Amino acid sequence: MKQFMKHRMMKTAALAILGAAMVGGSAVAADKWDGGDDLPTSPLACDAGPAAAAAAKPYDGGQSTGAPDKAGKPITLVDVPKLIGIGYFNATSKGMQDAAKEIGNVKVTTDGPTEAKIDEQIKFIDNYITRGVDGILFAANDPVAITPVLKKALSKGIHVVGYDANSQPDARQWFINQAQFNGIAKAMVDAMAKEVGEDKGFAIVTSTFTTPNQARWIAEMSAYAAKCHPKLKWLETVEAQEDNVLSFNQATTLINKYGDKLSGLFGMTSVATPASAEAVTKAGLCGKLAVVGLATPNAMKPYVNAGCVKSVVLWNPVDLGYAATYVMRAVVDGKLKPGATSVDAGKLGKLNVINGSEILLGSPFIFTKDNIKDFDF
Amino acid sequence: MSSIVISRLRPGEGGALRLFASQEALLAFAIIGVAILVGLYNPRFLATRNLADIVLGNAYIAVAAIGMSMVIVSGNIDISVGSLIGVLATISGSLAVAGVPIILVWLTPLMVGILVMTLQGAVVAYLRIPAIVVTLGMLSILKGGLISVTGGRWITDLPQSFHLADIELFGILPMPVLIMVAATILAALWMRYSASGRAIFATGGNAEAARLCGVSPQRTVVMVFALHGLFAGIAALLFATQLKVIQSTVPPNLELTVITAAVVGGVSILGGVGTVVGSTLAAVLIAEIASALVFINVSPYWIHAVQGGLILVTVVADILRRRRRQVGE
Repeated sequence: MKQFMKHRMMKTAALAILGAAMVGGSAVAADKWDGGDDLPTSPLACDAGPAAAAAAKPYDGGQSTGAPDKAGKPITLVDVPKLIGIGYFNATSKGMQDAAKEIGNVKVTTDGPTEAKIDEQIKFIDNYITRGVDGILFAANDPVAITPVLKKALSKGIHVVGYDANSQPDARQWFINQAQFNGIAKAMVDAMAKEVGEDKGFAIVTSTFTTPNQARWIAEMSAYAAKCHPKLKWLETVEAQEDNVLSFNQATTLINKYGDKLSGLFGMTSVATPASAEAVTKAGLCGKLAVVGLATPNAMKPYVNAGCVKSVVLWNPVDLGYAATYVMRAVVDGKLKPGATSVDAGKLGKLNVINGSEILLGSPFIFTKDNIKDFDF
Repeated sequence: MSSIVISRLRPGEGGALRLFASQEALLAFAIIGVAILVGLYNPRFLATRNLADIVLGNAYIAVAAIGMSMVIVSGNIDISVGSLIGVLATISGSLAVAGVPIILVWLTPLMVGILVMTLQGAVVAYLRIPAIVVTLGMLSILKGGLISVTGGRWITDLPQSFHLADIELFGILPMPVLIMVAATILAALWMRYSASGRAIFATGGNAEAARLCGVSPQRTVVMVFALHGLFAGIAALLFATQLKVIQSTVPPNLELTVITAAVVGGVSILGGVGTVVGSTLAAVLIAEIASALVFINVSPYWIHAVQGGLILVTVVADILRRRRRQVGE
């Protein structure tokens, strides 16, 4: 009842400000894409090279106290992801095993809750602290709630490295950051320009104009396109919340509205991208209208395999787990110390340190027809 | 005074004047009016493809609004329908992926829909707990339960045969439109001409009087909820089978859209009055406006304001109409 009344009241209020907002809404700057935020952007260089490191931020991670010196000696690690049994964390786990095999003197076990619950995750970590391990790898269910148990691990001489989902910086030594906003933005816009050509029109399907991550990505995409693909023509951004059917309907409406003027669609969420691909499929425009977007591979397999979608942008979770293991080995060996600017991560090469105590995985990963079958999440 | 005359007429006997002033006619004019106005601004709006897409993508809302109209006419309301549709879609998709025969995949959501709604109807009718409280409880149970059980994991790899909404009868008639039109006509005829259909109006208009006339309000309410469950099941099927991914979460604000369609369709929130032809037309109108907003470059956020405006106008008109009638009598 309350909820219902609230909606009613919200609707009434929305109606009341309709007139005022309509007047105010017309004064929007034309050079920025709708749906981006107003924060400063830092577009990457147009060529493939990685961007120059941003202004160095001092190390803000924690320290493991009283850890035994195991440099070059065998170590035992435990990996506690948000939850076990799903494709995504199976993939990070596989990356860890690959790295462990390559390095030789690392043993890593993945263990964790079957549901993404922070209290369960804390229990698992606590148990492993008691049992004794050399290092803990984690992907936090809650950045704040996980902090005390990680600090406890550090205080008992256990090394702590996070990946995928961070804790507060001082509760772990390093965190592997899977992707930065400007990196994703570059990958998206480059893929679109490559697929449709430099002077074509495109539209964006996002969640809402105010969703923080999406707004950041769109702002970075806008800045990067202005710098590196100035002739690409942004037509419109539509909101579709995180709703499958609404995303489909919105994408369909864009296709009907613009016809030939629309050469590409960006999907900004893992909901909007498959729904946009479905809209293009149903309109019979596969191959004529490109879809580039952020999405997880399973939802995109039908469209990628059918040749309807060529580029699905995300990061590679196998590489993420692989990098986390290499970073942990480097920490134990004393090769990655506060103040370092990069770390060696096997086949991934040198990974850069950013934001004080984070390690950037590298450029985003693009799922294509050739590699998408190797992923199950 | 004409209002006195109208109030004493049985539905459908008012002649041309009444026909043109009816909610259904107003909605039909509104649908055509919006099409013409937006078409003048951007002729692409009137392309057959776009008009068909508007109806195709939203037929499930119209189907759900049929059951909702019956529930509201009977003097109740259901705010759990959006969550139920999410749950039924997930059940159906899970069965399809598990390789269950397709006929069972399609029938199970209907059965479960009837079961859940009958249960709610019985609690409302026999324990005399207000429907809004009962269905609010069910909304939370279904919403929380769905996330707990599925962990928010999507259902993908659905077999091709699962996609009922993609079937086109005789190669041209899309299943969602066919089901929407057929369900609306059948429900309208049944509500108007059958004794059990009329009992819904009697129960919602004046339960005590209905009881004196030999209608059991309790049994009517349970029946209405059971039917509402059936329509929710059909809606869930159309909803689940139109895309290749099922989200395994509750579609946001779906119950609100369904209730809006019923109310804007002329179903009185006070019970006793309304038709499912109206609710289906209203569902089409709301979908049309949502699409039109994109065509005239207005943020789709305004759809909420437009929906709210439509509700307010309809409810105020309904209450004014009732008042005038009471004064007339």
